[in-house]
Parts: sequence; structure tokens; C-alpha cells
Amino acid sequence: MRVPPGVDEEDRLDRDEAKRVLARAARLARPQRKLALATLGFATLATATTIIGPLLLRYAIDTGITNGDRAALNLAIGVYIVVAIVAFVGSRLQYVYVNLTGEGFLRSLRLRLFGHIQRQSLAFFDRNKAGVLVSRMTADIESMSELVQWGLLQFVSATILVGFALVVLLVMSWQLTLISLLVMPALILATRRFQRVSNVAYLDVREKVGENLSSMQENIAGVQVIQASAREPEQRRRFRAVNRELYDSHIHSVKVSTWYFGVVEFLGVCATAIAIGAGGWLAANNQVSVGTVVAVVLLLSSLFEPVQQLSQLYNVLQSATASLNKMFQILDTSPDLDEAPGAVDLPASGDLVVDHVSFSYPGTTARVLDDIDLTIASGEKLALVGPTGAGKSSVAKLIARLYDPSEGSVSVGGIDLRQATLASLRRRIVVVPQEGFMFDGTIADNLRIADPSASDADLYRALDSIGVRERFEQFPDGLDTEVRERGSRLSAGERQLVSLARAALVDPAVLVLDEATSSLDPGTEALVEQAFERLTSGRTTIVVAHRLSTVRRADRIAVIDAGRLAELGTHDELVALGGRYASLSSAWARTQPA
Amino acid sequence: MTDDERPPDRAPSSAPWKPLLALLRRQWVGLGLGIAVGLMWTLGKVAIPQLTRLAIDRAILGEESAWKWAIWIGCAGLVTGTFTALRRFIAFSQSRLVERRLREQLLDHILGLHIGFHDRAQTGQLMSRGSSDLNQIQAFVVMIPITVSNFFLITFVVIALFVMDPVLALFALLPLPFIYVNGRRFSTRVHPAVHEVQQEQAQLANVVEETVAGIRVVKGFGAEQVQADKLATEADDIKGASMKAARIRATHLPVNELLPSIGLIAVLGVGGYRVINGEMTIGDLVAFNFYVQLLVWPLRSIGMTVAFAQRGAAALERIDDVLSVTPEVVDPDQPVARPTDAGHVRFEGVTFGYDGGDTVLDGLSFDVPAGSSIAVVGATGSGKSTIARLLIRFYDPSAGSISLGGVDLRDMAVHDVRRSVGLVFEDTLLFHDTVAANIAFAHPDATFDEVRRAAELAGAAEFIDALPHGYDTILGERGFSLSGGQRQRIAIARAVVADPDVLILDDATSAVDPSKEHEIRGAMGTVMQDRTTIVIAHRAGTIAMADRVVLLDGGRVVADGTHDELLASDARYRQVLAASAAAAHAAGDDTGGASTDDDMDDMSGVPG
Repeated sequence: MRVPPGVDEEDRLDRDEAKRVLARAARLARPQRKLALATLGFATLATATTIIGPLLLRYAIDTGITNGDRAALNLAIGVYIVVAIVAFVGSRLQYVYVNLTGEGFLRSLRLRLFGHIQRQSLAFFDRNKAGVLVSRMTADIESMSELVQWGLLQFVSATILVGFALVVLLVMSWQLTLISLLVMPALILATRRFQRVSNVAYLDVREKVGENLSSMQENIAGVQVIQASAREPEQRRRFRAVNRELYDSHIHSVKVSTWYFGVVEFLGVCATAIAIGAGGWLAANNQVSVGTVVAVVLLLSSLFEPVQQLSQLYNVLQSATASLNKMFQILDTSPDLDEAPGAVDLPASGDLVVDHVSFSYPGTTARVLDDIDLTIASGEKLALVGPTGAGKSSVAKLIARLYDPSEGSVSVGGIDLRQATLASLRRRIVVVPQEGFMFDGTIADNLRIADPSASDADLYRALDSIGVRERFEQFPDGLDTEVRERGSRLSAGERQLVSLARAALVDPAVLVLDEATSSLDPGTEALVEQAFERLTSGRTTIVVAHRLSTVRRADRIAVIDAGRLAELGTHDELVALGGRYASLSSAWARTQPA
Repeated sequence: MTDDERPPDRAPSSAPWKPLLALLRRQWVGLGLGIAVGLMWTLGKVAIPQLTRLAIDRAILGEESAWKWAIWIGCAGLVTGTFTALRRFIAFSQSRLVERRLREQLLDHILGLHIGFHDRAQTGQLMSRGSSDLNQIQAFVVMIPITVSNFFLITFVVIALFVMDPVLALFALLPLPFIYVNGRRFSTRVHPAVHEVQQEQAQLANVVEETVAGIRVVKGFGAEQVQADKLATEADDIKGASMKAARIRATHLPVNELLPSIGLIAVLGVGGYRVINGEMTIGDLVAFNFYVQLLVWPLRSIGMTVAFAQRGAAALERIDDVLSVTPEVVDPDQPVARPTDAGHVRFEGVTFGYDGGDTVLDGLSFDVPAGSSIAVVGATGSGKSTIARLLIRFYDPSAGSISLGGVDLRDMAVHDVRRSVGLVFEDTLLFHDTVAANIAFAHPDATFDEVRRAAELAGAAEFIDALPHGYDTILGERGFSLSGGQRQRIAIARAVVADPDVLILDDATSAVDPSKEHEIRGAMGTVMQDRTTIVIAHRAGTIAMADRVVLLDGGRVVADGTHDELLASDARYRQVLAASAAAAHAAGDDTGGASTDDDMDDMSGVPG
């Protein structure tokens, strides 16, 4: 289960902001306009019995019963049956249509938001925590589905009901209605006060629920540390306190809101009492009929329920507005690595030139790379080495245009990567990350990440080209084997093989590889090395190297240190130089079999 | 542990209701009060239509003053209003109290359960026992006082109707039981539909999560469209499932409006003629109208309560599955006092396999004299970490014995064992609390000076002083994040404060960049001084700090000596060192969890 996000400042919108957000949501929902109108129509029909029922009763009493007119009574009963059926049908349809409207809106919102997130550059993903992005797409949208499923309908039908009931009441007897509605100001005051206090209490409860869940999660996930430190009594004491706070918050919330339900109940009965008292007086003066008094009393009682419902809707509406606002903030972030206008395709081959490149991660000032100048000939293999954090992976990221350099340029065959079409860029330059990342689905699905249109034959050709077809055919369902959660069905080595096969499927001119650091079982290790060897042959390759064996196979080695290109040359040249590489390589030689 | 699968160590429990009943019994005063209040509410509710009837017949159609009856009605309103509020308050506060107490009971129990249980249980599953399952129980308990008063109401109304006019009562009441049937059917049908929606939502979340986590792969191959298509499929599924739930609502909810209408039509049809025939008054007719409408909500709510009770029972059973697990690592009946030379560690013929499975340790024996240090070296899966977990008594060996100062761990109080043995985990978990509190974890009452001294010894004082709020900086998942090396130093400081007789350093340098390894090593050296230390290490530099090295293979000690001796004489030893050197070379390897400051430079960006 997911821990709901706590309450933050973004959850508290002021009235103007809320209006702006809702107006924007309404514009977004324009495609659902027709469905919304239909919903409105059906919701109106659904209120028919509540509004017309008392009128029919009035007619039955005044015209039928009082005068002993059986035909009038029969007419009232007949019409009542028709009205009840119409309302029933309307009511059924309103549930279907309100969901068609709302779910359609949420669906398009999901697609739109996801598409927008995917268009963002990596810098965006560095800036925004994964958990936050996921909760925008899940918890925030889901918090609106409550509104869609019943809130919207309740709002619509309560509004219609109150509107119609008021009109009917005033037409029947404006005197009686106005006197009875003397309780209205009290109801409005109570409702506003309730909204205010219950909203504060509601946000507080949500916050406490979040804290409670975090505390519980920490205790469960950290149970080993807790038991190892013999700290159970202290943790129990603390959890009791957190749990107590949640309880207190719940109790406070009930305490500040429960009176409201009593007041609404009381005021409702008061309105009835006034209608009867005043009705009796008016009836004695022959200003209203008995039937009218009865109808007014019945209609008044149906007026109070919707008001109460509307007041409870406020919290739902508020959290939906807050969620919408957060989503709009993402939709307002424009992608910063888009294709340049008039972009051209990258050539199929050519030298890779890193021209005086400096780089800071967006939003930071620290220079990760400082004036790197490198030319890698077509088909050459370059190993990047250096301590962790020195910037070697950043060089690789710029070559793959996962980021743009802050200064200088990266080009292939004379075309600046920023001027290249994204499609050709992804076809010519492929990154193979350290760990083979697996998506849900089969092995074939995972290969097709690289090329959704690849046929089965293409997949086998790619696997053959790096000599790993047999390994995957051994699985019970071959390439149709489900990899399970994050690829847990596959070993770490097999995941790397999938990763390499993806690259083979694209058949790029330039390969950027981040060598894995974890050790594999010896059988797979050899296969991965062989696949690696075959994949890189004839391609320009930049590898972030961690092993001596990999470095020795490179044509040239670039030593990156503190963001600068410290040394560049062949293994023998650099060993002869006696600098950083020489000491690193001798350190490796002591621990790693070359 | 999944919902359908019960843990094997669960004692068969015949009465999952027991913990709830015990709590309800404890709260009998509150619940009784709720029921009494409900009774008062009912009386007020039933009185109003009667007063209305009298007002119509005697005042509006008769001679009396209507205002007199209006005041009576107002008084009845005061009663129902007051007791509506009270009933709501009591129902909610009692149910929240049950929820609070059950949650406490649950976490108390979970914290005391042996690690063997936690290995099998998933955090998420246990979390939903303490959250969504408890919510379902709360939703049921809140209905108890409300349902009781609804029963009162139905009984009184039925009596009132039959007293007024038995024939009309029969017609009016005929359709109403179907409200209950419909309500119950609705609740049982809509629940799985809502569940399906939630599952579809979880699948969509899965696509979003994998896309965000694997964004480098997605962007690297330009696979945005592939993922967008997957998301569209899931979004369609959610819409489909939601519409299914909506159709269930559309089938059942309007029936709740139609059935009372049928009752009202029956009242008008049958009652109207009876009034014309002089068999009843208009006041009776109106009172009937009111009563029929009065019954709608209680009947609907009883249907809901039945469904809530079913769900609550299922939730309670899942909670009971956890509560009925008996802790396996417990104090002996007569614990032996903590020995004076607890620093003397001895493993004698220890055999162990996790959860009764494959043997990890097979007759393992070694002896560490008090105050000396030993490095345990072996390939992945050779059982190194298991030694640490047995020594702190997370598990008990299936054969052989482990002793501190000559006393078997099983003969000591668990608390004493864990005070004597300190464990620095390979992946340090920091709690959502201040730096100081994290360091004083084992001794919450340690003074600030002690904490500071520990931080200094662990080489952590410098970076802590540079933190935004120094020792008061909040750490943890939602707090300030530290690098792998900084976390390790906090962990070592923690061990210093705990001041154990035996210190186990499990892979303390693995999460650290090799270039920063020496800093950790300095801190380790300080805390190892004059203390029995067991180092589980991969890196040669760390291993060399120990007085002695034992090489583990197949769950046994296969070589024993100093680092230099083994390096010179043992081929297997050199092989193991080379393999782990490759594995540990860069930070963020397959040890998972530990993320470092250096993430910026990790191309995969994939959480472990």
C-alpha cells in the first residue's frame, strides 16, 4: 500500500485560487460537455418524485379527499405512479452518465499528464522525487474520483432539488414559505461555521493519519534495528503517543462538527413546526388549504437533507481542487529538451566530438564538468575511468543528450546534438545502463522497448547478433516468459543481456555503456562479456569502466578527475606516463584478475 | 504473507472476534450510553409524526390553536436534535477508541515478533493490517449504536402504524423490507467492484512507477509511446471498472428511492379511500406519509451494516492472523544474569538454516577471546551475515550453541543479549528523528555530551556540525538525506553510545566510495579498541584491521589466521577477495537500499 502524502501548504488554496483552478478544470472538461448536459437532464428527472409527490398529495387532499371526488384521487394516484417511474429511470441514467462524464475526464487527464511528464528532460526527473510524480498520477487523480463518483452528482441533484423546491413552495404559498424559512439564516450561519471548523479538523486528521502511517512503517521496516538495540519499549511508548495524537485529532474533529448535525435536525423540525403553526393560522383565515400545509411541510423536510449534503461536499471539493492545482503545476512545466525547429537527422556515422564542454546539473551551481575536449573517431572504443563523482557518467549522459551541456557542444559527424531530430538521436546513439532495467511484461515486451515495431524475427536476429539467443530460449515460454516484478524472474546477468539485446535491436552507430559493478555468477559473466564484445565491435563505444579487463580492451582511455580530462591515451601510453591511471591500474591489478 | 495465505507459525485461532469483543466489553459504559441516547433519539423521532397528525386533525381541521402543537413539535425537535448530535459523537468516539487500542495492540505485538516472522511478512501487508483493515473495523463499530437505535425506530414505527390503522400499515410496509434486501445486495456487490477499481488503479500506478524509475531507459530508446500506450490501456481499464461499479450503483440506488414511493402511493391509494369513507383522518394519512419516509434511512443503513460487519469480520480475521503468532525468541523462565566477561564469544557446532530450509551454517565453531577482533570472510551466501544475526539472537541455531562469557544466549534475557551485542548493519536505517536521537538510539536517555563524544569518535562530528541544524537536523526518509559514508558513521556513533561488549560490523564500508573508505576505517579502529569485534568485510583494507581472519565456505570455517598469512597461503582466500573487490568497487552496488550522495553520477538511476 502507498502512504498517503501528508498535508502541505499546497493543500490550502484560497478562494480565488480555487476558483481559477476549477475554471481551468472546466475548460479541460469541454469534450465531456454533452455528457454533462445529459447528466443534468437525468438528474432533474430523478428529483421529480420529491418535488411533485407533495403537490400530488395536496391535489389529492384538497380536490379528491376533502370533496369525496374519487376521480381526482385516482388521477393523483395515476400521475404519482408515472412520476415515480420517470424518476426511477432518470435516477438510473444519472448514475451512469455522471460516471461517463467524470471518468472520461479523469481518463483524459491521466493521459495528458503522463504524456507531459514523459516529455520532460532528465533534469525534471532529478528535480522531482519519483514518489511525488507517481502520486500526482495516482493519489491525486484518485482523490478526484470520489468527487466524480458521488460528489458531483450530489452537488448537481442537491442544487436542482433546492432550486425547484423553493420555486414550488413560493408558488404554493409565499407567505407560509417565507415564514417557515425564517430558520434559513440560522442554517446558513451554522453551515458556514461547520465548513470552516470541519475543514481545519479534516486537514489535521489527514496530517495525523500520514504521521501515524509513517511511524508504523518505520517501526515495521526498522524492526531489526529496534530489536537489535533492545529499544522496543521506547518505540512502543512513542507509537502510543503518535497513535494517541491521531485519536485526539479524530475526537476533536467529531467534537467540533457533531453539533452541526443536531442543529440541522433541530432546524428542520422547527421549519415543520412553524409551517404547522402558521399554516393552522392561515388555514383558519382561509388563506391556505389543508393540502397546501401538508405539501409545504413535506417539501420543507426534503429541503434540509440536500443542504446538509452540500456542506459535507465542501471537504471533498477542496481536496480535489488542491490535487488539480498540483497537476496544473506539472502541466505548466514546459519540456526543456525538445526538438529544435528545423532539426536534421544525425548521419549514420562520423566522428564524435565533445567540444570544450562544461556542465552543471540544472538548478545547481557546482560544475560537474569543466572544459572537456575530446574527439572519438568513428568505430573507436573509449574507456572513461576515474573516481566516483569525478564526472565520467556525466560525460556519458551528455554524449547521449540526456542533458545539454552548459557550455560547448557535442556533435556527431558535424551535427550538434541539439540540432538533431530526437528520433534519429535515439536511433544513432544508445545508452546501456549499468543495471538492466525491466518493465512489467514478457522478455519480448522488454526487448521491444527499444523498437515497438520489431517483429519476432527482428528480436531473434538481435539476440543472435550478440550470441545470447539460446540463453533466452531455455525459458519455459521462451521470449514470452513473464519477467515478473522488476524482472525478478531473471538473474542480474540475464537482465544485463536483455539490456544489451535492446541496444542490438536498435543497431546504433554510437554506444554509451555504463559497466555493471556487481559481480555475476561465473557462467553468465562470460556470456555478458561475449555479448558486450560482439555488440561493440565496429561501433563507436564510450564505456564508463570499472574493471581492468574492460579498460584493457579499449582503444584509448580518458581519465576524468574532478570534472576535468586529466589524462588521455592508450593503456601503454598512460602507464608509461606514470600518472593517475598508472597508479589506478596497478591498484586494480592487485585485486582483479585482468 | 498474503491475505489468503496464513503464516505457518500461526496458532489456529477459533475466535477472531475475541480481541474486538474484549475491547467492546471494556467500553461497555460508552456503548451503553450510546444505546441509551439512541433510545431517546428514537422517542423524539417517533413523536413528531404523531404530533403533526394531532395538529392537522385538531387544529388545522379543528378548533384548537396550531401554535400549541407547533411548540410541542419544536420541543420534540430539540430532543431529536440534541440526541442526533450525542449519538453521533458517542458512536464515533467509541469506534475511534477501539481503533486506537487495536492498533496499539497490533504494533506492540509486531515489535515483539521474532525476525523469522518479519522475513516472511511484507511491510505493506502488515501496514494494511494497521490501516485499511482497522478502518473497516472502525466503520463497523461506529454502526453499532446507530444500528441499535435504528432497530428501536423500526420497531416503534411499526407499532405506531399498526395501532393507527392495521390495514393501511400492511400496505405501506409491504415494499419496505426490500429496501433492506436491496441495501444489503448493493453493499455486497459494490465492494468487489470497488476493489477491482483499486486494483486497476494499482496497475496504472505500476506503469507510472516503472516509467519514472526507468526513465533513462524510456528516454534512451525513445520508448515514450510504448509506455503511453500501456498507460492508455490501464486508464481504459480503470474507466471500465469504474463504469462497472457505476452500473451497480445505477441498479441498486434508485430502487431505494422507488420503494418508498411505492409505499407512499399505497398510502395515498388505500388511505385516501379510507379517509373518504370516514375510516381514518387526514392527519392519519399525513402521519403515515411521514412514517414511511422515516423508515427509509434506517432500513438502508441496516443493509449497509450487515455488509460492513462482513467486511469487518474479514479484516478482524486478518488482524488476528498476526496477533495469534507466538513470538519465538523469548526470555527463558529463569534468565541467567549477564556474565562479567560477556566479551568472550564462542560458536560451538552451530547449525542453522533459515525457516527450516537449506543449511546455511553447518557445524560452525570458532572462539573470539574478550577484547580481540576477528574478520569473517567468505563468498556471497557463505553465511557471514547469518553469524551476526544469530549472535544478536534474531534466530536460534537448530543445533549447537552460541555463548557470551560461557553463558548460552538462550539462557539469558533477550534484552541482556542485545545490550551486550551491538550490530552495525550493512544498510543503516535512519529514523525520522534528530541526528542526536538517531545516535542515542540504543540509549534514549544518553546526555548530549555522550552523543557528541560518540560522534567525534565515529568521525561524524565534523559533517554533523555542517548540517543545517547540527545535531537537531531531522533525518530519515522525509528528512535530510545523508550519503552512504555519513550514514555509516552515524551507525558507528550509535554503536559507541550503546557501548556493547561485542561489536559486529556488518559490511560497514560497503556503501562507501573506496576513496572515502579510509575515513570509515579510522572510525572503526577507534571503536574496536579494547572491544570484542566481529568484522564482516569484503575489502582487504578493512579485513586487515582485525587481529584474525576466518574464511567461511559451505557454512564452516575452512581457514583461520592473519590476513597476511591467508593471503600468502590460501588460494580460495585470494579468489574471494578478488570477487568482492570487483563487486564493491563502486558505491550503490547490489547491496540495495543504500543510496549515496554520488547518485548524481550513477547513470542507471534505478533504485535498488
